[in-house]
Amino acid sequence: MNNYQLAWRNLWRNRRRTLITAASVFFAVFFALVMRSFQLGAYERMFRNVIESYTGYLQLQGSDYFDEAILDNGFEIDTVFLEKLATDRNVKTIVPRLESFALAAAGTSTQGVIVMGIDPEKENRVTDMRNRLVRYRLTPKAVEALKNEKIPSLSGDLLDIFINESYTGTGRLMIDLDIDEKDTSAILPVIRRHASFRNEYLSAADTSSLLLGSGLSDFLNAGVGDTIVLMGQGYHGSTAAGKYMIKGIVRLPAPDIDNRIVYLPFSTAQALYGAPDMATSAVILLHSNDDHEVIETAGRLQEMISGPLKVHTWKELNALLVNQLEADNKSGMIMIAILYLVIAFGVFGTVLMMMAERRKEFGMLVSIGMKKGKLAGVVSLEMLFVGLLGVVSGIIASLPVVIYGNVHPIRFTGEMGKMYTDYGFEPVMPTMLPDTYYLWQTVVVLIILSVAIAFSIRKIFSINVISAMRS
Amino acid sequence: MIVEIAWKNVWRNKARSLIVIAAVTIGVFAGVFTMAAINSSVVQRIDAAVNEELSHIQVNNKGFRSSGDIQNTLRDFAWVKALLEITPGVKEVTGRILIKGIASTSAKSAGVEITGIDLERERQIFTLSEKLIPGTGTYFESETNFNTAFIGEKLAKELNIIRYIITDGALAKLKEEGIPSEVISRLETLRGQRFVSDKKFSDSFEDLLTTSEKKKYSMKIKEAAWSFREGSKIILTFLDVNNMQTGAAFRISGIYRTNNDMFEAMSVFVPVGELRSLTGMSEGTFHRVIARLDENDITDKVTPGIRKVLSGYEVLNWKEIQPDLAMMADMMQQIYGIFMTIILAALAFGIVNTMLMAVLERTRELGMLQAIGMNRRRIFIMIMLESIFLSIVGGIMGMAVGGAVIAATARNGINLVKYSEGMEAFGYTAHLFPTIDAGFFLMTTILIVITGILSSVYPARKALKLNPVEAIRGE
Repeated sequence: MNNYQLAWRNLWRNRRRTLITAASVFFAVFFALVMRSFQLGAYERMFRNVIESYTGYLQLQGSDYFDEAILDNGFEIDTVFLEKLATDRNVKTIVPRLESFALAAAGTSTQGVIVMGIDPEKENRVTDMRNRLVRYRLTPKAVEALKNEKIPSLSGDLLDIFINESYTGTGRLMIDLDIDEKDTSAILPVIRRHASFRNEYLSAADTSSLLLGSGLSDFLNAGVGDTIVLMGQGYHGSTAAGKYMIKGIVRLPAPDIDNRIVYLPFSTAQALYGAPDMATSAVILLHSNDDHEVIETAGRLQEMISGPLKVHTWKELNALLVNQLEADNKSGMIMIAILYLVIAFGVFGTVLMMMAERRKEFGMLVSIGMKKGKLAGVVSLEMLFVGLLGVVSGIIASLPVVIYGNVHPIRFTGEMGKMYTDYGFEPVMPTMLPDTYYLWQTVVVLIILSVAIAFSIRKIFSINVISAMRS
Repeated sequence: MIVEIAWKNVWRNKARSLIVIAAVTIGVFAGVFTMAAINSSVVQRIDAAVNEELSHIQVNNKGFRSSGDIQNTLRDFAWVKALLEITPGVKEVTGRILIKGIASTSAKSAGVEITGIDLERERQIFTLSEKLIPGTGTYFESETNFNTAFIGEKLAKELNIIRYIITDGALAKLKEEGIPSEVISRLETLRGQRFVSDKKFSDSFEDLLTTSEKKKYSMKIKEAAWSFREGSKIILTFLDVNNMQTGAAFRISGIYRTNNDMFEAMSVFVPVGELRSLTGMSEGTFHRVIARLDENDITDKVTPGIRKVLSGYEVLNWKEIQPDLAMMADMMQQIYGIFMTIILAALAFGIVNTMLMAVLERTRELGMLQAIGMNRRRIFIMIMLESIFLSIVGGIMGMAVGGAVIAATARNGINLVKYSEGMEAFGYTAHLFPTIDAGFFLMTTILIVITGILSSVYPARKALKLNPVEAIRGE
């Protein structure tokens, strides 16, 4: 009989102990995986929200703009140069922006806002802006009308929860209102009739219209067709002031930005701030957004630049968010470390018991000629099997949860949802599909096992046959 | 009697019991301490919110909070104020004017909320005047003909009012702090240069110092070089009562420092009279009344009464203004319960295994006990007690160690400097002073006993299933 067979059979001699030990490993691995998956998934979502609706993966900025985000640190657009940069193999296109700050007033409401001058068509390729226009809105009037339709599968309670919510498409709306796929086709026309929201995207030629974040629109109590006055400080200290009509309302997933953003066509923003031909940044749209590729591309582009310009990656552009999530990440890791520490003690205790209990047996085996090396090999395999049984079952059990959570993320509503929004995060918590974090759990368990194995091997080699058999 | 036997049984196999006890000790310690650290950040955040930012109760016209309309002043300020003042539990009352505007210097501008305050009364309600950074002036005490403003450090940095300069004084100060003169001599090349941002200053000595030197000294260097020119001015621009753009230069009276970057960057305080005359608001008008209570605990009790008498106004307490904070405080107990349950569940596996072992190796003995007349219930209780002892001894040791470490670290706090930027952006301090309610220990003890009981059920049932005759014959 070979070592594997021996080890396997030994395991099932004390079935209960084997199962309980494997269960403890299973518990730790399953729990750690699910928790990590939610944590990492939430981070990924937060980053993606802010990157895809705002910063982009790479930005070109005036070299002082990063430290001091003011118009005066912007750069003059050199089309020829930008085209040259765009020839890099990972660059799709480069989209200049003019970003500044202003006070926005509508009626008697005033609010400090971010003003972003964008090229409507190009920007659409970066942030998918056209699809972020609000298509449906559950205004109190719409909710009232929908309730009066008395459709059985349309819950009045859910309508009340999501009152005043804006939607850019039907997908989220159907999920929020908990409408089954089979009912969708029947309900959709009714919702279209009552809750449709009319607005339009910007065109480059617009000189007196703008787009507004949905949160900002609520705050200023201003809708499509209303007038907004923007005023602020222009280029080189000039005064910037202008009057614009709201052409459309966009909903951005990051509330922090949604509550504060105004989009103007690029040339209109340049005119407002008295900064013709200027940009404060340019988003570099990439073919591959893979971490490694982004950094490499940034390096290549920086080499091509000679003037006072600098390329920044999304990590640099969102340094604060990176720092916040890192702190949160550490707290999650501490929690898991405690869990594994406790489990390690449990495993170690079991090994200690097993060694004590089988002293006589080991003594016997050695005395009838089994080599201590072979015995140590068999015992090591036993422990490896128990550990791997726990790890593998933990991984298998976690998969359905993780996959389900990825497709149907947890959505926070009520106070909890408001708390997330107040902190500038979308109140959604998806899971992250299996990635390297799965590997790490296995590594940690292997480390715990190797300590236990080292202990038992030492024990076996120091065994004294006579006294062991007598015990 | 049974208690005694169970206790002695625990110590029959010392090594085995000690391992389980050690596991429980470490698990409980880690849980208690981690929670104390997390709890402290919430407690400190609430303290700051109440004492620096919100106070206990705020009253304004309905609709003011969402629109911030300058003309939406309190209908009858004097009446509201008088009424609050005679309400039992209210300690001090003050009025505020709140206006959105832009703060700018020649270099930069930022959106702010300008608050017109009654200087003396504010001092009774908020601790902000004590948060003045030494050397940046006073809390509206210096004589000047200018308009004056009290602003946050974050805003001052954003507007480039604060800069970094290595002066002779700064070098001398570094020497005093005990930084090697060899390091200081390298910094001397930067003498006299001005840096407008933290980042630029850090970059300037990036190549001058080694990584370990930077790690050790950069905070001290920044502190020494931190400079503010007294008498600096900012321009505040806003809309007046007729919706016309207006504004004026304000001299910085002082700069305050809190743990909340958002608050520091947004909140500019000016004497209410100055703001009124600039906006054209009439004498005696206010947007909001703020009340401080005798103590925080009575907030929930006092609020409904005030709301009833002031039914025409919006009356909110700090928990309603920042529901996230109230929720955090309420959730702490739950988070702690979940956290501890997970740790104890992990520990339970070890306890079950150990107890099972203890039962199976005593098959013969347990059979004997039954044979001589010990009833099954008593055996069950004995095994359960052994399991509870294992967990409770570890639990008490874990709580004792946890309590001691909390006390030790609470004196100087734990400073997570690396994460201060991210945490302060949310208003949470990165300098934690671990603290935990006595209630947490009680809850932990209960959870530990439950763990002991639950993890004994399976082994104890195994013991009961033994047939006395077979058990004695066995082996």
